[in-house]
Amino acid sequence: MPSWSLKLSAVFITLFVLVGSFDYARGHLKNPNAPLQPPVADRPAATSATPTPAPTIGPLLTTRPGQRPPTITPGPRLTLAPGVRTATLAPITLTHTS
Amino acid sequence: MDPQLFVWIVARATGVAAYIALCLSILSGIALRTSVLDFLAKNRALRSLHDFMAWIWIPLGSAHVATLLLDKTAQVAPLDLVVPFQVSYAPAAIGLGTVSLDLVVLVTVTSWLRRRMDDRLWHWVHRTSYVAFVTIFLHSLLSGTDFSSPLISSISWSAALGIGLLAASRIVFGRLPE
Repeated sequence: MPSWSLKLSAVFITLFVLVGSFDYARGHLKNPNAPLQPPVADRPAATSATPTPAPTIGPLLTTRPGQRPPTITPGPRLTLAPGVRTATLAPITLTHTS
Repeated sequence: MDPQLFVWIVARATGVAAYIALCLSILSGIALRTSVLDFLAKNRALRSLHDFMAWIWIPLGSAHVATLLLDKTAQVAPLDLVVPFQVSYAPAAIGLGTVSLDLVVLVTVTSWLRRRMDDRLWHWVHRTSYVAFVTIFLHSLLSGTDFSSPLISSISWSAALGIGLLAASRIVFGRLPE
């Protein structure tokens, strides 16, 4: 067997292993079965959602003279999960009047 | 891709590839002087492959070491490449890698300086490559992230088994003279 064919085979075997293990490592970034689990040096700072001010709603109902104003029962309060931020869209308001 | 993530992936891939290249280098070296494989003793192609493999594993091993130095999670300092067992975590597993690196550098440099060295001394230094291989194998077994993968594990164990069998046959059946 010529020398160059042996060398070429060795280069191909090593390249095959290199590309294969690169692809494997890219697909398995974290291996829970790895023998070493070094402590992470720089943990990213926990991001906290900045609370947006509660929208203020103007008077929605107008009452005629002599009419009892309707009692407004408070609607369900919207509570957001810590990571959820409110959108900058106009708040949904009640337009229905009786 | 995040640069730190890329460095980590390259460190793992070059570690496995350097291990395989070193195994091929050691296998071709043992095969040249084992009496069971006496028909290979005068094989110039195999001898040429043994010399050539250094040009494969040196860049791969260097890339493995360089990327581990750049990797913040690995926490390997430049001094750890020379002085073993100094790393703050898993000093034995990583220190074995340092021992193997030191030995492999010693074997390679003395091979390049062989003509200027005493032949007996060179042989004894060259035999430390067996110790180097054992430490490389233990280093990859104890610290290799991908060693638990069935495919990579089977390749690594097969290469180690091949070297072990050839080394055992060399001990049992003898070594061919120069």
